[in-house]
Parts: sequence; C-alpha cells; structure tokens
Amino acid sequence: MSISAEYAQEHINDPAVLCCRREAGTTLSHHDFEDPAIFDDLVSSGLLKLDGALTIGQAMGSTLTKTLDSLNAITKDCVDKVQEAKASAAATPAAPTASASVGNTTTVSGGKLKIHIGEGKGIDLEIPMGIAAGAGAAAPSGAAAGAVAGGAASSAAGGEKVVRTLTRKHFNITEVKRGDKTKIDGTTLYIRKGIEKEAVDTQELVHDLKLDIITKDNYHVYSETIMDTQPIATKEGDAELGTGVTRVLDNVVMMLTGTTDEGVQIGEFGSSEGYLDENVMWNRPSCPDHGDIIIRGTVKIENKKNMERPGPLAAHKAFDVITQEIRLALKELDEKYCVSTEEFKQVRRPGKKKVALVKEIMGQGAMHDNLILPVEPVGILGAHPNVDLCNVPVVCSPLEVLDGCIHALTCIGPASKEQSRHYWREPMVLEMLFDEEIDFAGVIFVGSPQINSEKFYVSRRVGMTCEAMDCDGAIVTTEGFGNNHVDFVSHIEQIGMRGIKVVGMSFCAKQGALVVGNKYVTAMVDNNKSEAGIENEILGNNTLCPEDAVRAILMLKAEMTGEAIKKPEKEWNPNVKSQNIELISSVTGKPVELVKNEKSLPMSEKYKKKYANA
Amino acid sequence: MAKKSVVSKVKKSSVKATKTTTKASTKAKTGTKKTVDGTTAKFKISGDVQLLLKQHVGKPCVPCVKKGDKVSIGTLIAKPQGLGANIHSSVKGVVSKITDTAIFIKTDKVLSTIGPNDAIPVSAKKDDLLGRVTEAGVVGMGGAGFPTAVKLSTKLNDGYILVNAAECEPILAHNMAQLVRFPKETVKGIQYAMKIANAKQGIIAIKQKHSHEIESVLKALKGIDNIRVHLLPDIYPMGEERAIIRETLGILLPVTALPSDANAHVINVETVLRLYEAIEYGRPIVSKKITVSGKIKGSDNGVIVFSDVPIGIKVRDLIAAAGGIDGDYGEIIMGGPFMGRPCKLDDPITKTTGGIIVTEPFKDYKGAKVGLLVCACGANEDRLKDIAKKYNMNVVDVEYCKQAQDPKGNGVYKCENPGNCPGQALKCMNIKKAGATEILISNCSDCTNTVMGSAPGLGLNVHHSTDHIFETVGMPVQRHLTKSKFVEGPIPEGCTASRNPESNEPGGIKQRAHAEGGSKGADYSKPYQFRENTPDGELLISIESGSDISIKYED
Repeated sequence: MSISAEYAQEHINDPAVLCCRREAGTTLSHHDFEDPAIFDDLVSSGLLKLDGALTIGQAMGSTLTKTLDSLNAITKDCVDKVQEAKASAAATPAAPTASASVGNTTTVSGGKLKIHIGEGKGIDLEIPMGIAAGAGAAAPSGAAAGAVAGGAASSAAGGEKVVRTLTRKHFNITEVKRGDKTKIDGTTLYIRKGIEKEAVDTQELVHDLKLDIITKDNYHVYSETIMDTQPIATKEGDAELGTGVTRVLDNVVMMLTGTTDEGVQIGEFGSSEGYLDENVMWNRPSCPDHGDIIIRGTVKIENKKNMERPGPLAAHKAFDVITQEIRLALKELDEKYCVSTEEFKQVRRPGKKKVALVKEIMGQGAMHDNLILPVEPVGILGAHPNVDLCNVPVVCSPLEVLDGCIHALTCIGPASKEQSRHYWREPMVLEMLFDEEIDFAGVIFVGSPQINSEKFYVSRRVGMTCEAMDCDGAIVTTEGFGNNHVDFVSHIEQIGMRGIKVVGMSFCAKQGALVVGNKYVTAMVDNNKSEAGIENEILGNNTLCPEDAVRAILMLKAEMTGEAIKKPEKEWNPNVKSQNIELISSVTGKPVELVKNEKSLPMSEKYKKKYANA
Repeated sequence: MAKKSVVSKVKKSSVKATKTTTKASTKAKTGTKKTVDGTTAKFKISGDVQLLLKQHVGKPCVPCVKKGDKVSIGTLIAKPQGLGANIHSSVKGVVSKITDTAIFIKTDKVLSTIGPNDAIPVSAKKDDLLGRVTEAGVVGMGGAGFPTAVKLSTKLNDGYILVNAAECEPILAHNMAQLVRFPKETVKGIQYAMKIANAKQGIIAIKQKHSHEIESVLKALKGIDNIRVHLLPDIYPMGEERAIIRETLGILLPVTALPSDANAHVINVETVLRLYEAIEYGRPIVSKKITVSGKIKGSDNGVIVFSDVPIGIKVRDLIAAAGGIDGDYGEIIMGGPFMGRPCKLDDPITKTTGGIIVTEPFKDYKGAKVGLLVCACGANEDRLKDIAKKYNMNVVDVEYCKQAQDPKGNGVYKCENPGNCPGQALKCMNIKKAGATEILISNCSDCTNTVMGSAPGLGLNVHHSTDHIFETVGMPVQRHLTKSKFVEGPIPEGCTASRNPESNEPGGIKQRAHAEGGSKGADYSKPYQFRENTPDGELLISIESGSDISIKYED
C-alpha cells in the first residue's frame, strides 16, 4: 500500500516499487510507492522482482516516462532522471563510527521557529519538539548533539567515581577425593564420606542423593538432566555479596542433576540427560569448562514433585548442604594457596551515557525460579525466590551479579538457560563494567511470571525503574523463548516508550522467533549458536557469550548516537551476525573470536534422531 | 398527451474482437447505449401502488391523508418531520392502507407514463424558486436522496453548481438519454439552481466518451458563458461527489468535508431537470427516469430507458412493462452494478431508483474459500457477503481497502481519493494467508487493476461484485485497466477536461490542493493546506508543492 511521507523518509534506501498503476508523466511521490515491509513476501511469491530497482530516495520527485502497473520496480529506464542519493545514517548496526553531527539547520530564536520557503516542491520539515518547545532548557547544543562514540563525550561534571570493589581470590584444585572430613589439602579437595545421607535428611522431598566426582577422562558418563552448574565460592569475613573478598575454587564445579523416584527428568521443555560429553557445551559462561572436575549430585525427589515449586527447590537445598561444607573448608584454606587475585571495580561515570542492564530471569515456579541475593555466592541461605518477590524488578550492582547473587533454578530449554555459573561470569556485565564510554548504572533483575497480566505488571515496573534511574539506554536479556518473550518485548516497549534507547538479547533464530513485537523492538541481538537455529538441548549452547555482549553494547551505542539499526531480514539469516562480527573486528581492530557450537561435540544418539536432519 | 404504448428498446451491437496474441478468439460484446429518451409506456398494475414514507436522507415523512381519501397525481400525501422532502401521490385513486413505512393507493389497472403537466401543480408562486423546489419534494435522484431544497439553501459565495452527468454506473443510460432529449430544460434547471444557491459558475461533468450527448449539451449552452462542460475519463468512479469536485475544481476534500467546504454543490443531472419541472410547471416529484436491463424478454440484453415511471409501482410491474423476465434469474438489482442492492419483485419504485437489472443465475462455487476486499466505492461488506453466499462461497477473511474510511462510524464508508488506488498487495496477501482460493472484490477500476497485479500471482481467482451483472449483459468483466485515468486527445472548445496534471494539453484543471485531514467546515477552496501531527512528539509538515510558504512556530 502507498506510504506516508514520513515513512518514505525512513525507507529512503529501500527499493522503489509502484503500489498501483501509474501513467507516464506522473511525478513520483510517497503516494506511489508500495510499502517495503512486504517486499520479502512479494518476492518469495514471485510477484516482485527488484533487479535494478532504484531506491525510494532516487525515484522520489522523478517523472515516469512510461505507464507501469502495480508492483513494478522503478528502474532508471522508466524515469526521466535518477535523484541524487541522499547521504543517510543507515549505517550497519554495530559500526561505532563517530557520526558527524548534523549541525544546526534550524534557528531557534526566543522560542519561535520561523521557516520561510520562497518556492519549492516535496518539502518535508521535521521539527523536534525539544528544540521547538525548549524554551529555557539548558545546554542547547550539548543536549542535541551529545556524542557518545569515540569516547570524546563531555565529561565536565564530576569525573569517575569508584562505588565499590570486589576482590576474587582463586584457589586451584587438582584433585577431588572422598575422605573422613571435608577439607582442602593444598590443591586436593576432600569431601566427607556419608555427607549424602545428611543432605537427604534435611529435605523431606529428596529421597536419594548420589555424589560422584567426574574428571576429564571420564566425561563420557551418563547423566540425568542437569539442573544447575555452580561455582564453589565463599565470602571472607563478614563481607556482603558484591563487596570485599570472595574466595573461589578453580577447576572444580558443582553440578546438580536428578529425576523423580520413578525416573522422570526434572525438566520441562527438553532436558539434557545423556552422556555429559555429548550434552554439555563446555566453556559456556553457564557450563563447566572442559577439564573441570565435576562434583555431580544426582538426586531423586518424590514422584510428581518435579513440576511443583517445592520439588526442585528441595533438590537444590539438599545439594547446597554439601557445597556449604566445602565453602566452610575454603574459608579455612591457607592464603598461600591463592594462585591469583582479580579486582573488580564498580565505576560510575557521570556525564557518560547512563546504561542499565535488565536481565529477565525465569519466575514461573518449580524449576523456573531464581533465588536472589544469598549470603554466600550462589548459596541458598538468606536468598529470596523471585517468585515470592512477585517477580518485580530488583536492582543489583554489577559486582553482586559477578559475586553469585543469583542461584538459578532453571530447566526450560537447556540450550538457552542461564545456570548459576552464568551470572558468576556474565559476559554482558563484564563488557559493560569495563566499558569506559558508558556510565553503567546497575543490573535490574526481573522475573518472568506465568500470567500475562502479571507480565505487564512487572514490565511496567521495569519501565519505571529505568525512568527513575534516568537511563539513556538499556540492554534487555532473557533466557528461554516463547512464553517469556511476551514480557521480554513488553520490557522493551516500556523502556522504549520513555525515550530510552533499548537493545534486546535473546535466543531467537529459527525456533525461538519472537511471537510478539512492538515498535520499540528494533534492535535485537540473537544469542543463537546452534547450526540450525534451534533449541538443541545441548546445555548452555545458545546462552549469551562475549561475542553477543560486544554486539549488543555497540548496537546500543549506535542507537544512542542516533544511528539507524537496519531492519531484520524476514527469515533468520546467520550471516547477519557474522557480518556484524566482521565489521566490529575490522573497526575495533580486535578480532572477536566466536565460540564453538554443538558441532564440536561427539553426536549423541538422541541428537542424531531428533536434530541431525533439522 | 401521447398514450402510445411504445417502449424504446435499444439493441446492442455485438462486436467480435480477436486477440492477436492468442489463438483463442474472445467474443467481447460492448453495450451501445443510444441516447434515445421520451419513452411512453403503459404499466399494468398488480395490486396497490406503494409510496414509501422514507425516500430521502433524513427522517420518514408523516402522512397527511387518511384511509379512504381520494387523491390525484400530485396530491401531497406526506410531509417531512425535520430533514426530509414532501411526498406526493403519483396516481389517481383512493388511499387504501397506511402503515409505519408506506401509504398504499388503490388505482386503475393500467397506468400511463406521467407527462410534465399531468400533475397538480404546487402552490408556491413561480418566482419563489426555492419554495417550489421545497414543495415539489425534490431530492437527489442520483441515488443519494438528499433533499435538494435543503442543499441549495446553503448559499455559496459566488461558488459552483457541479452537475453530475457522469452516469458512472455502467449499463445505466437514462441520464445520457435525458441530455439528448432535454438539453435545454436541463440547462435551464442548472441556471435555476445557480440562482437559488448564489453560484457564479455551473459545470456539467460528462464522460468524454459520450460525444453525442456532449454535442447536444453544447448546443443548448450556446450564448451561456457561465456554464461549461467538463470531460471525465471513462473509469469508475467519477460520479462520486468528492471525485466530481476533485476533477472539476482540482480540490480533494477529506472524507469529513462537505462540498460546500469547496464552495460548491454537487447535483445530479436528473435532479436539475426535475428542479426545472418543479419551477417551470410546479410539478412535484411523481415519476422517475429508470434504465431496465439484463434478462428481459425481447431485449437481447440491451437497455430499456423509461423516462417517467410512476413512483410506487412494483418492480415486477416495471419489468413486465419492459418485456418481462426471460427464464431463470439470479437476482434483481435496484440501482447500478456497483452500488445497487438486490431487491424483491414486490418492492416499490422510489424517487432514487435508477436501474433495475435482472441477472443470470449464480454459478455454484461449491463452498470454495473466499476472501472479501471491501471498497467504499462499490458493494459494502454485507453486500459482498450476500454475493459470496449466492455463489456458494465460504468467507474466510474480510479486508478493507486502505482508503475506505468510515468518518461517522455508522458503517457508511467513503473513499479518501476515489478512483486512485492506494495499493492492494498486502490485502491480497492477507486473504491468501487466510487460506482463500477466491477473492471477491468491490473495488473501483484502478483498485481492481491493482488487485489483478497481485491476486492471480498469489493463486487467487478474482471475482468482482459486478461480474454476474456484466456477464448477463455480455459486457467484459472488471479486471485490468486498459484505459487512461485522464482525458486524452482533442476536446471541444470551451470545455475543460480531467487531464494528466503533468501534461500541457489544453483544458486541464489546476490541482489546487491535496487536502489531507482537516476539520469539518474548513475552507478547502483556498489553494493550500496541510499539517499533520505525528505521535512521537514531532511536528511534521509535508508540503507537496507550493510557493511562498511561511511557517511559524510560536508558543
């Protein structure tokens, strides 16, 4: 259908196609052009060929030299002249080029805008009301042209401020053994024999817990569905999460797996049971690294309790009895075994664009829950399930996130779920924490409730929170796909409608394509890594990685500097990502290394059956 | 007066056209509608004459006679309450029944065509122009039925009387017949209308193809310099009120505006003749010019033009006078192919009845899935559903043309820019996505052409709401547009024409404004306007073209 003048300007670089029959002699205007949004459908139906098509910008104002029917692309052969292509800001999404400021084309004098045009044709004037109505507003030039990219923003006010610091001390573990006492002897961790029964006894719903130690040599071992992968870390002294010193054991992780008594996997949409080496995407932030010693607990919980809140929670609680005993041992470990120290500084940068990270986490109950802010990193004690907090937004400092403030109960679609270890080394938080061009305001966790009305309840709170934080931009992440996309896009809408630039991150690709949308969902980063664009049930495969984080932050910067983000293609096309990665590598001079995907793993029978032909 | 029972039957000549590009030869008949009028006919009456109390825009009239009263042709029988127009008896007889909706009159078994002096004249004096028009109960006879006296009492500021002689509905022929038979009377009527409404200029809009009728009118206009003829292209619709204004004055009114916003009144060509009769003879509205066509015995699918059918007789009796229905039929249309509605044989003729068309039986599509594309310029959604049902099609989707607007929210749609397509590809795709194999449309010539650009390619079989009617009379169905939307070639001296705005051919009308939006009562006769507010807090001003433009923004 014909388009408006405004819409034509937005699509100045899209092909010019007649919406209807136009006779020779017609001077082309927006009334004559078909909406580029439906071109993909038209091309795939064979109704439209775009070969040699001029852009709308090139065709607008030209005169048709022959009568053409609808859905004919305007080529240079059928117009009297090709208009000079207007230089436009349709840069590729991620290019962080410092865009030349447009300059003042309007004259503001005493609250009046006067424009006089002696004679003209096809004149469009767009006047930002901020300029037109900005009587008395401070900083007339800076406010409009505030550039972010290039790091040359005005940092006049205040300068940097370190809010808090977190120190991580790393202790190496080379061997895990069972012993009479839980202790760490140099680089050997001993776990007390018989601790399993004590752990089981703490939870009525947990009927069995088996502990085994899996090393690199025996990764080819069967496992029930993986409910969580956790770091083993503890606070020194009385320090609160996100501050002070945290001790962490390297090369060893806790892994909780389990079923019900009758063998039903504690999962929902897909599960990751099978041989570990075939079902775990090693080295994802969420997952064990290849080479890690895995302390695996296999629980059996009461039948039918797998889909109710108390069941999975009881499994986590029982398992944490063991982890807690290791934490206590870690506290006792001699400082001399510390192999390295990391320091994280939370720095506020007044004057830079203020950016928040909104992380949508599961909040529908059972395995779709998250315990927020335990006393110990990824512990249980002191934490509140976000379901009990009604899924409302909770603001955390980036350092709290990196210090394990989320104990995750996740199981939907294992490939896209973020286990506890993910938050411990969340790439998006790290990317933003070290980015000196932005003022990283904080991380907002928001649960994804079951009911639609509650989804909108919490998303409105997200919008209000971002508004109150006075953010310039926000990145919204989610895990899983489908149902949670309803609130995910609602968060984006609530943020976007407040004039805050927003970038969304989710697994989408083929299988997880957004089921809903709104006009603010224009900048999206796809977390997919799978070859076929699907939830492939490989643990952690499609979770947020550094290659996604770097794209998201550059996309947000592009948006905040007023650069246009290109429209997505109609069908999922993995080349979009590779092109952006290439562009980023070439512009920043730092090659972005892509993580491996399921192709690097031995193929399981289940995978062969279900997905090999996908 | 003459009482010969003669009906002029216009036989159509059929022309064989051979496509050179394909082996198959298609037989394309074209209806030649001769401009013959003055038919006198006799109507055998089956039962009482039925005069509806609502034959106009406004409220139903209130009867001012009672059962048993004797009436003559021209007796006032019902008066308006609020907006409306007087209703007069069209026959001599006795009031037999009065219901909430109609007055029934028992009359002779056979009625004759009513001549100009056959009715009791109205009481207003001849120099009381508006009084005579009011009393005579003149309404818009092109189909709208707006009380003419009310329309003309809105004074223009040296404005325009635009006479709609487009006769845009195919098949109908009584308007053109009138221009040949009564050109002087028609011109006189225009002059009366101009005088009543204080107009300085009259414009008669006729399609360029009617050269014979144009010649007749130009002859009658000799020596009259404030009325001219404007030539229209042969596409549908050109007779829509706002289309006439756009074509003749170069002003596109928004759907919310009235013609008076452009300093003009649009008046149907038969209405000006009736106005002339009302003023000249004091004749009230008792008869109607009607074209009968379709499956009529002995007509060879030609058209039969009646000049003065007594209002209130049954459709059945009019068809009988034309020759009677020829065998099985699908439906009877009252009105033209595009805007007409199906009617029953016992329905009465009213002041706004223009055509009676008897169609072929409908084909059976055996429950095929159909998507409807509703246009403001043709059949509405209910009518398309009715046609789909008659074709035995199963409606799976209903789409509306982007330009179809319902400004009052009462289900009456108007086109934002009649006859100029906004594109239909998306609508066709939606219909395809809904699972349809058929698409049934009610679009104008231009939009239909656009539908043909995408629907067949999507695998949709295209049907137009007028197909069964055109097929009945042997006319090619509405599909691709092969004619220009502009008047081309030489035109008679003194005429204007709807020229391609980019061409420099003589007679073109300067496009004075492309008014979008705007509020009721705005003066669109001024040569520019346009402003839009966008929802994103920006003020966007779009100016198609212009000169000496000044824009000020003040707090």
